[in-house]
Amino acid sequence: MILVDKHTKVVVQGATGKMGAAHTKRMLDYGTNIVAGVTPGKGGEKIHNVPVFDTVMEAVKTTGATCSVIFVPPYLALDAGYEALDAGISLLVLITEGIPPQDTAKLAAAVKAKGAKLIGPNCPGIITPGQSLIGILPGSIFKSGPVGMVSKSGTLTYEIALALTESGYGQSTCVGTGGDPIKGLDYQEVLSMFEHDPATEVIVMIGEIGGNAEEEAAAFIKKNVKKPVIGYIAGQTAPPGKRMGHAGAIISGGKGTAESKLEAFKANGVRVAMTPGEVAKQVAEAIKQPAKA
Amino acid sequence: MNLYEYEAKRIFEAGGIPVPPAVRITKPEELAKVHFGYPLTLKCQVMSGGRGKAGGIKFAKDLEEGKALAKDLLQLVIKGSKTESLLVEPMVSIAKELYLAVTLDRERGCPIFIASAEGGIEIESSHNVLTEPIPFPYHPYVGRNLAAKLGLKGAVMAKVADLANKLYKVFESKDLDLAEINPLVITKGDDVLALDGKIIINDDSIGRQPAFKGWMEAHLVDMSPRERRAKMTDLNLVELDGNIGILCNGAGLTMATMDMVKAFGGQPGNFLDAGGGSDQKKTLAALELVNENPAVDVILLNILGGITACDEVAGALVEFMKKYPERQMVVRLRGNNQDVAEKMLAASGLKLYPDLEEAVKEAVSRSKNATKKPALAAKA
Repeated sequence: MILVDKHTKVVVQGATGKMGAAHTKRMLDYGTNIVAGVTPGKGGEKIHNVPVFDTVMEAVKTTGATCSVIFVPPYLALDAGYEALDAGISLLVLITEGIPPQDTAKLAAAVKAKGAKLIGPNCPGIITPGQSLIGILPGSIFKSGPVGMVSKSGTLTYEIALALTESGYGQSTCVGTGGDPIKGLDYQEVLSMFEHDPATEVIVMIGEIGGNAEEEAAAFIKKNVKKPVIGYIAGQTAPPGKRMGHAGAIISGGKGTAESKLEAFKANGVRVAMTPGEVAKQVAEAIKQPAKA
Repeated sequence: MNLYEYEAKRIFEAGGIPVPPAVRITKPEELAKVHFGYPLTLKCQVMSGGRGKAGGIKFAKDLEEGKALAKDLLQLVIKGSKTESLLVEPMVSIAKELYLAVTLDRERGCPIFIASAEGGIEIESSHNVLTEPIPFPYHPYVGRNLAAKLGLKGAVMAKVADLANKLYKVFESKDLDLAEINPLVITKGDDVLALDGKIIINDDSIGRQPAFKGWMEAHLVDMSPRERRAKMTDLNLVELDGNIGILCNGAGLTMATMDMVKAFGGQPGNFLDAGGGSDQKKTLAALELVNENPAVDVILLNILGGITACDEVAGALVEFMKKYPERQMVVRLRGNNQDVAEKMLAASGLKLYPDLEEAVKEAVSRSKNATKKPALAAKA
């Protein structure tokens, strides 16, 4: 497992909002160690029996939280992120969609300067099955096991995790890095953590059209990752110049195509799955034959 | 959201960036109100690029010639983009042309200056391009470094540095994805001037930019009417040319479903990502949008509920099928509150496919057997 386990103490920023409250409940039901909620002006209240604080600073001081999951509205996210960093939070999980990318760039720079980590924004969060679910992933489709997953997508991750679980292959940790063009953790950082994680035997990397993060990750894998990696790219039939749902999913000026990413996978020893269903089959083969293809 | 040149220049001007005097006209007669004398430049206001090559920029030596040119230019359609109006400016004596832009670099994860000592060109095909990462917080020395790296000296160097600083301020304060000046002109009198400009406003930021409130609809000119409606209702629709209407939740899953339809021999009629957490009302609006496309024979609905509740989707389906009982539907519905959804749909006789691959194959097979008929009308 990487980044989070059952001991990870989590504070929820925006815990009393509609979405924050609903997911606080679901995370608690899953067994996540939620120690505090933060909503300015609601300090002293409780949400699903979790104490609510006015500031992250107070929440951290009282509970020792090290991770914050952020559900605040898009234009308040930068401030919430700065607040978490300043309070000493070392892992920020930013679920919010629709954050102005210039705000994300500022937050990502501050996160880097502090030596902290940011997952997201516009992401489903992270899960170490059986231990900790931080975000909005549906816990029931994940199961503990040897597959590490890193993905730009939410529901597509669920689709592939479901197929893996149903085929008997559980997951060590699944990280949804988010669908925005500017974001925190990238593939390389997560791949590197999986490579050094004893619980991870096989890595699944789910990408999509737009940008060149998959190409760079493929080159990184060739140099730095010995464990088998299975790659899948969504948007193989997407027309150029059109934004396909995610802010970052666009082929522009001939760049960011699925072909380019699949080529890079093949050239660097990443095993390619052409459909979500094929991922589970490739994982089964990789576990039987862990040597690089 | 892309802006027209005249809008971009108004924003530049408000940010202290020098632009030529200009008049915008929508009728040839309006040329009479031009106050800066001849010769003049007349420029089509269109969203598409390649305007100069397509004949969208003309020069007039007097009012008579101007009116005749304006009449033709106002009717010009450039790469499918209609001329919205004409921007009329005096001709400028040019000593040198530069290129200057600020944008966000997704690879570096920060804003960058893009600059070139060769302006008026297509920046993608130029070899002489500088890219400079912009640090937070911003300081004016960044503009000076840039101007110096462009090889500028003396008063012109200081003027370009100042302009670069102002351009970044506009980029940041207005939440732009792109602020581009091409060409940035140095006149024979050593003045700097933004001769042509392009601005893209970040769509997610419009809500906090009161100046752009209500601009979206008028600027979605490169979309089909259905795509425009989707955008205004917060749905992501891209129209394609096949006959299987695809509706899913989440961008990645929608793309994957579209790819699978193609891989199994079908033709997607659209991509529609209803996003996470869509309720009954939004799901119904999404179904209606897909349904209205006359080329669509089969609707393939694939929902994997994380934050989307299956019972909300089922509610929309029940309502939709009452209205359009003839519509061919293939539905795959899994996740949150799936059991409730199944009970709600049991009476409708609609078969649910738990497996994505099976659902896609069924939709493809039905799309091939579909007999072409006019768009399905709602039941009275």
